[in-house]
Amino acid sequence: MDIRSQVSMVFHLDKCIGCHTCSIACKNIWTDRKGAEYMWWNNVETKPGTGYPTKWENQDIYKGGWEKNGDSVSLKGAGKFRGLKNIFHNPHMPVLDDYYEPWTYKYQDLFTAPEGDDQPTARPVSLVTGEHMDVQSGPNWDDDLGGSPDYARQDVNLQSLSEAEQEAMFQLERMTFSYLPRICNHCLNPACVASCPSGALYKRGEDGIVLINQERCRAWRMCVTACPYKKSYYNWHTGKSEKCVLCYPRLESGQAPACFHSCVGRIRYLGVLLYDADKIKDAVSVPDDQLVDAQLDIYLDPFDPEVIKQARLNGIADSTIDAAQKSPVYKFVKEWRLALPLHPEFRTLPNLFYVPALLPTMATVANGVYDSTSKSLWNGVESNRLPMKYLASLFSAGSTGKIVEVMKRLMAVRLHRRGVTVGDLNVAEISSAMSEVQMDAETADAIFRLTSLATFDERFVIPPAHREESIEMLENTADVKGNTGFGFKEKPARGL
Amino acid sequence: MRTKIAAIKIEPMLIPSKKPVLQIIALAAYFLFMLPNGLSAQDGEAIFKQNCAACHKVGGGRMVGPDLMGVTTKRSEEWLIKWTKSSQSLIKSGDADAKAIFEEFNQTPMPDQAHLSDADLKALYAYVASKSEPATAATAGTNEPAIATDASKNATAEDIEYGKGLFIGSQALVNGGPACISCHNVNYADVIPGGLLAKDLTNAFSRLGGDAGIHGMLGAPPFPAMTEAYKNKAITDKEIAAITAFLYKVDSDKANQQVASFNYLLYGGFGGAVMLLALIFLIWNNRKKYTVKKSIYDRQIKSI
Repeated sequence: MDIRSQVSMVFHLDKCIGCHTCSIACKNIWTDRKGAEYMWWNNVETKPGTGYPTKWENQDIYKGGWEKNGDSVSLKGAGKFRGLKNIFHNPHMPVLDDYYEPWTYKYQDLFTAPEGDDQPTARPVSLVTGEHMDVQSGPNWDDDLGGSPDYARQDVNLQSLSEAEQEAMFQLERMTFSYLPRICNHCLNPACVASCPSGALYKRGEDGIVLINQERCRAWRMCVTACPYKKSYYNWHTGKSEKCVLCYPRLESGQAPACFHSCVGRIRYLGVLLYDADKIKDAVSVPDDQLVDAQLDIYLDPFDPEVIKQARLNGIADSTIDAAQKSPVYKFVKEWRLALPLHPEFRTLPNLFYVPALLPTMATVANGVYDSTSKSLWNGVESNRLPMKYLASLFSAGSTGKIVEVMKRLMAVRLHRRGVTVGDLNVAEISSAMSEVQMDAETADAIFRLTSLATFDERFVIPPAHREESIEMLENTADVKGNTGFGFKEKPARGL
Repeated sequence: MRTKIAAIKIEPMLIPSKKPVLQIIALAAYFLFMLPNGLSAQDGEAIFKQNCAACHKVGGGRMVGPDLMGVTTKRSEEWLIKWTKSSQSLIKSGDADAKAIFEEFNQTPMPDQAHLSDADLKALYAYVASKSEPATAATAGTNEPAIATDASKNATAEDIEYGKGLFIGSQALVNGGPACISCHNVNYADVIPGGLLAKDLTNAFSRLGGDAGIHGMLGAPPFPAMTEAYKNKAITDKEIAAITAFLYKVDSDKANQQVASFNYLLYGGFGGAVMLLALIFLIWNNRKKYTVKKSIYDRQIKSI
């Protein structure tokens, strides 16, 4: 047993309103620089849709992530031979147009334009070339376009649906969309780290945050293609790659990352998970349909005395173990089994989990009348607007059973709370829904509380960083004692 | 971080103690050896051997260039300095004497000796003048080993083969100098086309005035690039003889050679490049050729 701690995340999609506040918070802190204008370390996508960069989920195009190779895995687009063959020109690299060309407007023209017959306009100019440009696309160009032929119909996840099922999704009265906010998953088996020829990427030992060493990065950009979530970006100005740092300077000082902190819908949860690093290789090598279970099996019970003992032996601080016991992520992922990883079939073991959204049920049109009535208050998960197969393609590597189970649990909580607060439902219906997923009233209330009423400190359980110990693993801090610290900007006029 | 701090600490301890000593030695050396008024005919001899002896003798007959016996009395010092520094500029300026000499020696230009200072040149002329005096001039001719002018004409086939090997580099020069073909080309049988950096040597034998000329050029190369290339890597007399024999053979056979041998390399290289591009095209044919948004862009209406 090799127990390590990982800062993990849960996004509750039922609460996401698609306002992009998280994206803007991140942009203002991290990517509002030359060369980083096109980067959105945090972005919010509309599903069904093509996302950012366009069609990022299609690994036939980008060759990201891992693929099963016998009883182990190998990188789909990198590795020793393929990496060497493509080191000077990576043929699967996303180009700027696959993201979008960043632009601003010449606002000054509104004030300085000479008097004329027409209103002055602020023309768009490229942030890359500085030339006038025709804005062709943006980072969320598919925003709210849940039925559009260019975006929604091109969604890669539709490939798992039959022609008829796809048509059903795009009938006007059945059309729907929901949001999918994405940041770096800080994976347990990161493809970006494995692909880097310079060894510039690393996973921090104490909290599992994946970072790029800006001094060692040699701009090979293998991480850009290798990351199946396309969350590593190349900065054309500095000539280095960059990615989400999970706001580690904020985490180290006990604050939630900017996108978490600013979230209007309070959909984001952050906490520690303890996991067994020895099990990683086996967990990523199982067949597709077992991937979710194998991944969830890696995370350990922080209340188990044996786990606590082994964790301490591995140098994990008591304060971190304490945080793991209070972790909202552990509750959503392991205790309540409500959250699933995004695209587990990429085999990177992502540490960002999603609680899928319960969408409105299907309506029908008969004799020109739009009918959305249903027998019961909620028509059951099978008549969800987004087909289970589609959600399974997103969150459970195609195994529909996993998604149905999660949806039924979410539905049970909803029915239970309706019974408590309104009381207009048949008690037998509620208890059958609860017993089907083996949930008691106490658990349902706890889920409701953490979903709807959770305080800031309940949503973000951030362990003390213990940087003083982490830094001593890398360098001897006593060496610089007496060398740095108090100083002057201007030389003092007095003294010796 | 730590190493940087260590470096800063060590530097101030070592450098100030060593620097003044070095500076004093350098200054002393400068005053002892480098002052211009210290030059004499003896330095002139060294300068002559290094820069002139390849093509000139003082008494003993003409080589590539004229015999310099008595040249200091024949021409003014001013004229000599101009000629030595850049004979071509003097010829272009319309000097009749200079033109005549150029014509007399088959229009073989003398390499410019612009690196020599006026003081150097004066020392050089002093040396030439002293050698031209009758007492020394009488012995001068006999001291130097005479080079048989017909040596290469009587060379054996082995000598020519050895010379060819040296020229194309299949046979290494004893002192490690670069092979001739790196910079020079000859048009001869199966010798592949050589470099274009320096002059074509196909007719070098007749152009440079036979054995003596080539011996002079190879013994102490007068051209800056060649001097640098063979610095401390002198070509031995035996090698010079073999190369000369080879160049004689090249020169005398030149009428029988085909001129088209260079095109073989040009077209071969072009064909190879096309094949390489085709190979790259095949290996990376499954690359991502268009942006994934191409179909979306194609439907958009452009305003610019």
